[in-house]
Amino acid sequence: MSKGDTKLLKKERLEGFIESLLNDHVVFGPVKKNDLRLLDRIESVNDISLDRGNTMNSAKNALFPQTERLFAYCHGEKVVEIDAPSAEGRGLVLFGVRPCDARGLLLLDKVFGGSLKDPYYCDKREKTVVIGVACDKPDPKCFCLAMGGGPCSAEGSDLLLLDLGDQYLVKAGSPKGKTLLKNKAFQKIDKEALARADLVEKEAEKSMNQAVLAQAAIGEGLEKHLETLFDDPIWDDITESCLGCGICTYLCPTCHCFDILDETGQSTGERIRIWDSCQFPLFTHQASGVNPRPSSKERFRQRIMHKLCYLPQNGNLSGCVGCGRCVTECPVNLDIREVIQKISAREAK
Amino acid sequence: MENPYVPFLMRIENVILETEDRKIKTFVLAFVSEEDRKRFAYVPGQFAEVSVFGKGEAPFGMASTPTIPDHLEFSVSTIGVVTGALHNLKKGDIVGVRGPLGNGYPLDAFKEKNLLLIGGGFGFSTLRSLTNYILHDQNRQAFKNLTIIYGARKPGLLLYKADLAAWGKRHDLNLHLTVDQEADGWKGHVGLVPNITRAVAPSPKNTFAVVCGPPVMMKFTLPVLKDLGFNDEDILFSLEMRMKCGIGKCGRCNVGSKYVCSDGPVFSQSELSKLTGEAHF
Amino acid sequence: MSQLTHEIREAARGLLRDGKAQVVIGFEPGSLPLRSRPCFIRKEKDIERLVWSGFCETNVARYLPKRKGKVAIVAKGCDSRALVELIKENQITRDQLVIIGVPCEGMIDRRRIEAEMGHELIVEAEEKEGSLVVRTADSEKILDRKEYLFEHCKACTHPTPVVYDVLLGQPPGPQEAIDAFSDVDAFSALDREERWAYLVQETSKCIRCYACRNACPMCYCPECFVDATQPQWVGKSTGLSDTIIFHLVRAFHLAGRCVACGACEQACPMGVDIRKLNRKLQKDVIDLFHHEAGCSLDEVAPLATFRLDDPEPFMVEP
Repeated sequence: MSKGDTKLLKKERLEGFIESLLNDHVVFGPVKKNDLRLLDRIESVNDISLDRGNTMNSAKNALFPQTERLFAYCHGEKVVEIDAPSAEGRGLVLFGVRPCDARGLLLLDKVFGGSLKDPYYCDKREKTVVIGVACDKPDPKCFCLAMGGGPCSAEGSDLLLLDLGDQYLVKAGSPKGKTLLKNKAFQKIDKEALARADLVEKEAEKSMNQAVLAQAAIGEGLEKHLETLFDDPIWDDITESCLGCGICTYLCPTCHCFDILDETGQSTGERIRIWDSCQFPLFTHQASGVNPRPSSKERFRQRIMHKLCYLPQNGNLSGCVGCGRCVTECPVNLDIREVIQKISAREAK
Repeated sequence: MENPYVPFLMRIENVILETEDRKIKTFVLAFVSEEDRKRFAYVPGQFAEVSVFGKGEAPFGMASTPTIPDHLEFSVSTIGVVTGALHNLKKGDIVGVRGPLGNGYPLDAFKEKNLLLIGGGFGFSTLRSLTNYILHDQNRQAFKNLTIIYGARKPGLLLYKADLAAWGKRHDLNLHLTVDQEADGWKGHVGLVPNITRAVAPSPKNTFAVVCGPPVMMKFTLPVLKDLGFNDEDILFSLEMRMKCGIGKCGRCNVGSKYVCSDGPVFSQSELSKLTGEAHF
Repeated sequence: MSQLTHEIREAARGLLRDGKAQVVIGFEPGSLPLRSRPCFIRKEKDIERLVWSGFCETNVARYLPKRKGKVAIVAKGCDSRALVELIKENQITRDQLVIIGVPCEGMIDRRRIEAEMGHELIVEAEEKEGSLVVRTADSEKILDRKEYLFEHCKACTHPTPVVYDVLLGQPPGPQEAIDAFSDVDAFSALDREERWAYLVQETSKCIRCYACRNACPMCYCPECFVDATQPQWVGKSTGLSDTIIFHLVRAFHLAGRCVACGACEQACPMGVDIRKLNRKLQKDVIDLFHHEAGCSLDEVAPLATFRLDDPEPFMVEP
């Protein structure tokens, strides 16, 4: 770890630091709202809740809103005018993002970036600073370790805060983060803090549900195995209770599918995009009536294949970051970790 | 940053009714902006997303050939909200276009090769584009024998009748038209496209087969081509899926790990045979 | 193992063995503490998967519309009411069903238990004589089971199945009188602005995941009105206007048919008070048509028929 990559932040200085960010950025942070914790715009430091656990929605909401205007249009007699939005003004800070959600952003970066950039996502992303907060006490549902992440991983965060009791260890996860560390709020690191941080990280990893981690472990060859078992009847069994709602996809930090619609009055309107879900029946429904995924079996299978087979095959990160939201919120407790275990254990015929 | 979601404007110059059931029309579009006209460059096999503002967007294969610049043509079958709205538009109306999208046919690989184009019904659009491209004076020499097998349910449902008539008079291609059942005055083949393909029995030697049509037609044409001796890498399909963004972001048009909009819509059978996913045809 | 678990397994075993059902739809333990989930048992060797607990909240009647063959189903009171409506609406026939009726003591709201235990890992939750004993690695709490039931279970008027082929467990004791609509009355008495503000507050939480719709046994339309495009009835974005319309129209589509099972609220991840509208309409249907959904196989749903004494003068005025 090179000099300048890690510093300390006394807890009493956190407020001032966040306030300085609020001065010239739009800041999102975890807030208590409606008996839930959500990642939402904050106007003051007092809005933030750094309790244990994760927000119900994920960091993707801030960069890829559920409903987003692509452009407005007005059409008169033989004339159409298009009003496309220009890039947002102020910078964006995503504060309190857990390591799983930060890793999720890296996958979204690949989807919306690449050689053809999605300006709605990329404009915001360029101006975004991710200040993560490590999970010194992971939730019972978490399995990030099995998905290549970790409760104290700085991957995807520009800065990562790790709670050492009376102060935070602050690690830079990117060049942007290193620049931020020059802020006066931060102090030099010392050996004791580093040792303590190491302990906290080890304790955090140890405290995770080991049985679940073993279950969700993505063995080598899972991709190939998923391919081989594509037509296997095990999918009938796995998917029989699926309700076909969109909870898993909407709460997931890496799911990115969307629909594009025109919403229009007499002569003016907007083209918007809204989240869509591969679990919905019309997702792949063609105008001719053909639907390659006619039942929840094909649709549930698609989600698993996309996350654990197609994305890795395309050289991307795994599509699952182990946040556990789909596991706890699925009304019928369909569990992706069990699916991995069942598929891994199944003999190909 | 360039915005790939915002269409440029085009004006309807002409609307051609293609079929006797009035369900398919070809729209001839002109660019509203000179800059867009200069910039638009496509190859046969690509597609574009056409917008009817207020109704939405839908993907259509390029039916025009890039050898005739300044205009784009799209053939539209009225089947849903956007296509229904398009059919109600008239000369002078404005639509939006985003494109060109997709990978198109591999023209370089086609050079010095024989070409067998097999089309069914409405799927013939991009094959018409490819045919007119090949037949252009400047291009014809680059390709060898050209065989076209094109079928529709009835004679009145064949598209591009003027093109078909003109091609029929040429000596540098073999045109095989077929309809499902006997019809008054019909002098071409009678039978489904896969069966006619089997009967015509084109040679696979040094030949690319390019197939585009309804899923069931493509499904039954593949084994015929394999029986005739075509290799997987020499059989190309142009696939269709429900699409929205057209640029590989919205996640819906995949066949296995490939997006039909950006990795396709043209795939070789050897590529398709390696993909896991729902049957594409 | 609870007595009911044992009885359910024996009932299911007999049915599969005698070929009286091809599948038994019941519950098995979930993958997380405090969870059970629907399961489909087809083989005798899988019988041991079936369990019964205070966490068997899903309305499994939801899996019946258009199902073929003989189905045995473990049904609580509300589930059985849904079965009655589905039979009347021709989504399944009575002959196809073997209803294993289970008198319900109410289902426990696990989210409240989790919050009560500070979101620590719960290693065990035991239901014991009206109490719920919940243990984490280093704490234990004894909670009053009744206190932690879902609100709709606390107000349940039909805990015992209304239709069944076999009724397990103990015959239920006399039912406490419950005023199921006191809060509806209280809400109706509020100012119009207050009521609207509450509706806006609740529907603003909605993320249009449609879990409420998909968990509901009575929402089985092959094409939901939300998905219709010609014409398009309601927008699909999370815009407030469209979201309110979605909930309003769905509530109206359920008027006279909703069996108050609470599956919608149980499924909702965002804590939307979905049932407020449904319960107002339930009360209206009782007041106007003296009808409660799912209680009788012979009574036609009031919005599916008319009578000469209907309070709809525009229909029957001479």
